[in-house]
Amino acid sequence: MDDYLVTVLSNIGMISFIALSAYLLLITGEISFGQQAYFGLGAYAAGAATAMFELPIWTAILVGSSVAGLMAMVVGALTLRLSGLYFSISTLAFAEMVRLILLIVKVQVEVDGEMVGPDGSNGFHDIRWMFERDISLTEFMFMIYGLLALVLIALIWMERSRLGMVFRMLGSDDLLAEMQGLNTVRYRILAAGLAGGIAGIGGALYAHFTTYVEPQFFNVMLGVHALAYGLIGGLGTAIGPLIGVAIDLGFLEAVRFIQGYRMIVFGGLVAVLLILMPRGLLDEERVHRLKTLFSRRNHAGARGP
Amino acid sequence: MIDFVQNTVDGIMFGSSYALLAVGFTIIFGVMRRLNLAFGATIMLGAYVGTWLHVNYQVNVLIIALAILASTVLTGVYVERLCFRAIRRDAALASMVSSFVIWMQLEEVAIHLLPERTYPFPSLFVVDAIEVGAFLFRAEHVTMLVLAVAMVGALHLLLHRTRFGLALRAMSENPRAASYMGIDTGRVMLCSFALVSLVGGVAGYTILATDEQITPFFGLWTTFKGLIAMMLGGMGSLPGAILGGLMLGVVEAHSQWYLGNEYKDLSAYILLFAILVLRPGGLMGRRILSREELAYRRV
Repeated sequence: MDDYLVTVLSNIGMISFIALSAYLLLITGEISFGQQAYFGLGAYAAGAATAMFELPIWTAILVGSSVAGLMAMVVGALTLRLSGLYFSISTLAFAEMVRLILLIVKVQVEVDGEMVGPDGSNGFHDIRWMFERDISLTEFMFMIYGLLALVLIALIWMERSRLGMVFRMLGSDDLLAEMQGLNTVRYRILAAGLAGGIAGIGGALYAHFTTYVEPQFFNVMLGVHALAYGLIGGLGTAIGPLIGVAIDLGFLEAVRFIQGYRMIVFGGLVAVLLILMPRGLLDEERVHRLKTLFSRRNHAGARGP
Repeated sequence: MIDFVQNTVDGIMFGSSYALLAVGFTIIFGVMRRLNLAFGATIMLGAYVGTWLHVNYQVNVLIIALAILASTVLTGVYVERLCFRAIRRDAALASMVSSFVIWMQLEEVAIHLLPERTYPFPSLFVVDAIEVGAFLFRAEHVTMLVLAVAMVGALHLLLHRTRFGLALRAMSENPRAASYMGIDTGRVMLCSFALVSLVGGVAGYTILATDEQITPFFGLWTTFKGLIAMMLGGMGSLPGAILGGLMLGVVEAHSQWYLGNEYKDLSAYILLFAILVLRPGGLMGRRILSREELAYRRV
């Protein structure tokens, strides 16, 4: 595979993490414009772990993911009383706060005679783990997809478990959920933390893949795209957001010949798609129908089609 | 002390255009119960059409202003048809995402119109500043305030003295009841989009005439300022939008003066986050019902 293809595929993989993060909140009924903050925090924390403190990569990813997850839980607890758009805008405000603070923060340490660390608006350079260990882009891509597969399996498993049912219940009617005796506060904070953690993994990988991160990358466009991916691909299953990412980024690469008119075409297409399917390609109804189709095939003859 | 007063007044003057942007967001939210993310891009496309005329044909300022207003209204109607009318009423999220992709689309159309990074925008006056005692006011800022006050006054009359205003208020109160009373809700939606696009066009024009330049970030900028100002005041509240806009202007002016440029946006976001956390529902919005109240309503 050539480097170009590997880069495109890796980007699809890394962006999928933030799409999954937004998706997890969407199924609990929360629209977040701010998941890019956790992607960014994960990137900075993990980058700092390898470049400044010379920790191994898996520790760094763990650090990135937990910093992002913990921060998300704090924000989740603060915004518990908010719902609907008020919640969305408060997450946006938080994400922009993080981005603007990262533009100011300068913490640098000397490693091997060079200063490394976040350098305000100049970004965070020299996260050179991949070069130092002589890891190829392809190897790193497999690492991305390995982690993505793990997260995806965990999410699909979660959706089949009681926790997934509770999350969807919060999404469709949180008052009813509370009347059933569920501790909605705990579940909402848990969902926020998990979503933050997933975005953090994506950020941690991103920092090491590009070797350089700057606050400007984690702007609101990233967050709103993450939301859109879930809605394009469908809110019925965790595969949905991945389809959304693949459609967007894959489409962007496939139609390079109409460069400059991409968003005009793509925007129009998505708008029409949302008119026809307001909850995306794989919405709950279609997922359910596909599942019954499957089980019918498995028990052939049990009941006619 | 003089600095403080000067900054406050400057903030109020510039904040008046934020207030107009917030009014645009809040009226659509009131009528639709959905967020129109394409509002900033609508204004941006209109402004680009005006700038395009200015750059290529050096036409009169008045014609530019009219072109901006006409194209924002047309774009607003396009957004309404595609992202709001065509999408089921209960799919608020789909409308929002749809208006977001249309934002991207409109932005690209605008960039095709004028592909460079910055373009000059005709300023309104040759006079630079008006001196009043120890204070100095830019003529553009004063115009901004005067225009905003006039717009808000006109809006108030429109909403409270006309049949359309009554229909619009009835719809924000309860859309279903409004349609039972024989209000043509589709028409009210269309007209309110045209109306807010007009308000947005005026706000965009005065802001650009003050800045004397336009960049591709204008769409994002207007969206943010309008949204923040609306949320500070509380969604769906007209006085809230105005208060939020002025407050945002004042906070920005002070933090820029006392803390420096990089803290200007940061302090606006910190204020917004703090107000949302401490006072859910904004300063003047309808309070978010507590869970007990919500539960009693169901029973």
